[in-house]
Amino acid sequence: MTDADIIVVGAGPAGSCAAIAAARSGKRVVLIERGPFPGSKNMYGGVIYPRILDELIPHWFETAPIQRWVVRRSTMVLSDTGALNIDYRSNAWGQAPYNGATAYRPDFDNWLAQQAVAAGADLICSTTVTGLLRDDQGRVCGVSTDRPDGDLTASVVIACDGVNSFLAKQAGLYPTADADNYTLGVKETLSLSKHIIDERFGVRDNQGVDIEILGGTSGVNGGGFIYTNLDTIAVGVVLKLSKLSAQKKRPEDIIAELKRHPAIAPLVEGGQVVEYSAHLIPEAGLEMMPKMVADGLLIAGDAAALCLAAGIWLEGVNFAMASGMYAGQSASAAINANNVSANSLKSYTDRLNKTFVLQDHKKLRKIPHLVLSDRIQHKYPAFVTGVVERMFRVDNPTPKPGVRRIVSQERKKAGIKLSELVRDALTGLKGFG
Amino acid sequence: MTIAVCIKWVNYSGPVESDTPDERFAGFSFADQAALEWALRIAENSSDEVLVLTAGPVGAEAVLRDALSRGAHRAVRIDIDLTSDSSVIARNLVGAMSQPRMVWCGDYSNDRGSGSVPSFIAADLNIDQALGLVALELPENANASFAAVRRLDGGRREQLLISGSAVLSVEGSTVRLRRASLKNTMSASKQEIQVITATGGRMDTPALRPYRPRPRVTLAPIGLTALERVKHITDTSSSKGHGETVHAEPSAAATLILESLRKWGYLP
Amino acid sequence: MLAVIPVRHGVAPVGSDETVCEALGNVLLVGTGTATAATSLAHVATQIWLVESSPTAHVIAAAIAQVGLTAESLILPASPDGRDLAPQLAHHLQRTLFAGSIAVTTDKVSVARQGGLAIADFTPTTPFVATLQIGIRGIDSHGDEPVITTVEVSGLSAPSRASSVSSVAVLPPDASTMDLSEAPRIVSGGAGLDSGQRFKQLQSISTALDASMGVTRVITDRGWAEHERQIGTTGVIVQPDLYISFGVSGAVQHTSGLGQPEHIISVNTDAHCPMMQMSDLAIVADANAVLDELAQLLGVNVIEGAS
Ligand SMILES: Cc1cc2nc3c(=O)[nH]c(=O)nc-3n(C[C@H](O)[C@H](O)[C@H](O)COP(=O)(O)OP(=O)(O)OC[C@H]3O[C@@H](n4cnc5c(N)ncnc54)[C@H](O)[C@@H]3O)c2cc1C
Ligand SMILES: Cc1cc2nc3c(=O)[nH]c(=O)nc-3n(C[C@H](O)[C@H](O)[C@H](O)COP(=O)(O)OP(=O)(O)OC[C@H]3O[C@@H](n4cnc5c(N)ncnc54)[C@H](O)[C@@H]3O)c2cc1C
Ligand SMILES: Nc1ncnc2c1ncn2[C@@H]1O[C@H](COP(=O)(O)O)[C@@H](O)[C@H]1O
Repeated sequence: MTDADIIVVGAGPAGSCAAIAAARSGKRVVLIERGPFPGSKNMYGGVIYPRILDELIPHWFETAPIQRWVVRRSTMVLSDTGALNIDYRSNAWGQAPYNGATAYRPDFDNWLAQQAVAAGADLICSTTVTGLLRDDQGRVCGVSTDRPDGDLTASVVIACDGVNSFLAKQAGLYPTADADNYTLGVKETLSLSKHIIDERFGVRDNQGVDIEILGGTSGVNGGGFIYTNLDTIAVGVVLKLSKLSAQKKRPEDIIAELKRHPAIAPLVEGGQVVEYSAHLIPEAGLEMMPKMVADGLLIAGDAAALCLAAGIWLEGVNFAMASGMYAGQSASAAINANNVSANSLKSYTDRLNKTFVLQDHKKLRKIPHLVLSDRIQHKYPAFVTGVVERMFRVDNPTPKPGVRRIVSQERKKAGIKLSELVRDALTGLKGFG
Repeated sequence: MTIAVCIKWVNYSGPVESDTPDERFAGFSFADQAALEWALRIAENSSDEVLVLTAGPVGAEAVLRDALSRGAHRAVRIDIDLTSDSSVIARNLVGAMSQPRMVWCGDYSNDRGSGSVPSFIAADLNIDQALGLVALELPENANASFAAVRRLDGGRREQLLISGSAVLSVEGSTVRLRRASLKNTMSASKQEIQVITATGGRMDTPALRPYRPRPRVTLAPIGLTALERVKHITDTSSSKGHGETVHAEPSAAATLILESLRKWGYLP
Repeated sequence: MLAVIPVRHGVAPVGSDETVCEALGNVLLVGTGTATAATSLAHVATQIWLVESSPTAHVIAAAIAQVGLTAESLILPASPDGRDLAPQLAHHLQRTLFAGSIAVTTDKVSVARQGGLAIADFTPTTPFVATLQIGIRGIDSHGDEPVITTVEVSGLSAPSRASSVSSVAVLPPDASTMDLSEAPRIVSGGAGLDSGQRFKQLQSISTALDASMGVTRVITDRGWAEHERQIGTTGVIVQPDLYISFGVSGAVQHTSGLGQPEHIISVNTDAHCPMMQMSDLAIVADANAVLDELAQLLGVNVIEGAS
């Protein structure tokens, strides 16, 4: 007999949800995490869209360690001196069933993993999975770890080991790695009193704000974000790896510059850096996704590049939780059917295809590369803010120019061809629409 | 026979004493880890059972499970408020170990830090103590006497011979605790932990305030005139700086350090 | 109040003089060679009782009963011998123990907590036993000759059990320890430094500055430096002119072993920790980065790949 029915590697959002789903269906589940506790090493920007938990943990919002509920979502376009801000507020998002929430990953991931333990999974921390075990037919049948006497056998292994998944690569499921498919996320957590955050961001109690930023990344293709926690704020940038190394810029300098921008400085002023962290993000979506199923093996979450990083959307946790849950369910169903071959486990990818997980990715297929393209990155912020600046500038005694004229003049000034503008608009419309 | 090991559940991230440390950052000190390792090593060569004990709230069972996964045989938790007086903690620990062959402790805990629990245990058990050990030579035969070295003040050391039941406390760097095997880690989470309700009240701990050094008494100033004596006390003639605090980038800081050393005459 | 000092071969532990001052000059010396020890404490003591007998709780209890001092609170130095004896005494006399005090009076005892970063103030109402941290009080000596009384403890029953721990020898500080305790310049590192490798770098920087390297207890615990490098109450007591610390918080057990350096420089990210407060030059910066810069300036041990 195997040591476990299902081994889940990595107690991030994907792994814990896989473990919950599998344990709920009565399987013997072992959840292995390399950190001293779940979430101890995990980082992200700061907003989770946890509605997918409705299915797995009813009333999750009563116990989940949430900092603030996002009721304001802003998208900011920064030029050197200006900023265009599109701001939406919905107080309904601050009530059940809620929309987005800010949370600290060491709190959130730990909470989620404890739900898996409550469901009956064995959680083993401070243990790194070092490889896959295979039977004589080459099927995955367990994992090896860095502990003494550290091999563990199971019917199915679910790899939820995060971006750049070592296990998926070892299983040969990844197409060749390409640095262009990754961005580097870098984040500073700044401490500010709750009172100051409430004042500056115009919120009360546990209401929070999510600001996504285009431009302001010192000429390196990418974007930025600011999220409010209870008494800290997260300020970060997401940078295209290839451009970062080409331009020889240091990520911490880019954050520093973003913090000095006239539109950002008043928001972050006086915040003491309490944490600095960096992490890779699989950016290219569909274009880089590996095969997610092999005999005895499933891949979920960032390990399967399921993170949706498309400009004004940066969603990974919800994709991880959903894919983890489906992986757990499919693994369990396959074991029930006494067949854990890739063919039998394929119900996992079927489910991904039918739900938002792959639907959203397909819809937004072109968006990541569009948003990170040189044109959008280097020309549009100046163009857009230029247009708005001229629309609202009162140049008396000169009469107001027509909007069409402004747009055309600013487009030329920014060096964007009309054909390009039309093409980008169409791609955008198709992608977002 | 039983070899008892006392380990304390403390917040590892910072030395903050509380009833309930943040469980995610809690663990046991290097000193307690070393105590456990020595006990396990002795038990390997004998038929002794290693009993791990902790006095604390339910979260403290995590350190017992950790100890079990590394090879301890039995675990007991005394349910008690962690802010209880050290003598009460010790008395309760002793109540849960019957006639131990030896008791291993860390030399002091990270938070309370009195180093008095081991000594109270020895007093309660009415056996000898060998505290603050920095080196040990375990015998081949687990029941033979063995040599140990303990710290005295001023860099002196005391060589001891340990030949029977005793309470031993060790410094953290004496030995590294072994890693638990995967199978033990898994089974430890299901092993039974005996829980005993503490007896004896807790002592009220007063509110903590930040540490401030107390003013030091100095010898009476020497000098014939009042002015000389004042100068002597206030040190006005010395070149001493005046407690300057500066925020600096690393490179500026390094330069500043070397400049100051030059100014004070430590560097040419 | 009465100071109780365990004596070994005429040597009183470090901190005895301060303990005697805290007890307002009254001291019971117990152990071997108490008369010799008495001379070394004559400048601070007013009343000295000598008990030439092994320093056990029974002996001391009998002695204080015999001289009529049972109502006094007892203070011992927080030296290894003092720290060992105090709980035994407290247990035997059924008194409260205040371990690691930084100030003791009959009705108020301030105790260091949280590894020496916080203070708890107790207000005892009955006689107690306390240990006093070494090096934080200072001494006020007087010119008068103390009154010395020898106490013969009688009526003690022989110990009912064989002893299982016996002292074989007391070793003098070894050369590497001497090196530190007599070093005029010390560069030290604490938990603010990020790796064991750092301490190799710190060692090279110390050498370049003609100084010896010291560390805090946290570092020896991690096994990043030898015991002999540990400065403080349970480490080596030092007396440097120059003390430079990197990432050291300045807990009382550390600083109490530090003597009174002429110049102190500290680098720490926390501007308000005790070590920074007692520095002539307190630099708020990442100590690891500063060490890298210093190594570069001094041309030693530049850590590969560090910024
Ligand atoms: C800067 C930044 C900002 C982001 N912002 C957001 C945001 O605002 N909202 C959002 O939804 N998403 C955001 N994301 C994306 C999100 O963080 C990820 O998509 C999500 O964490 C993926 O979850 P996961 O469970 O797949 O992987 P992870 O969270 O990476 O978890 C993997 C786990 O596996 C463990 N592990 C890895 N290897 C091993 C091994 N060999 N053995 C044992 N354990 C192992 C790790 O320790 C970890 O706990 C952001 C990411 C970054 C970098
Ligand atoms: C009975 C007893 C005896 C003891 N004996 C001794 C003894 O002999 N010697 C001894 O040293 N200790 C002794 N201790 C331990 C003592 O209480 C303290 O725990 C210890 O001295 C703290 O060491 P530290 O300053 O290295 O660590 P911490 O107190 O953890 O301080 C680390 C410091 O580094 C700073 N820091 C963190 N990151 C950085 C960075 N990147 N750059 C710059 N600064 C940074 C922090 O702000 C902090 O001030 C004893 C304790 C007890 C209870
Ligand atoms: N609550 C506790 N439970 C178990 N062991 C303890 C406890 N408190 C102290 N000890 C032991 O006593 C040693 C010294 O602690 P302390 O006297 O608090 O400095 C620790 O290293 C432990 O070995």
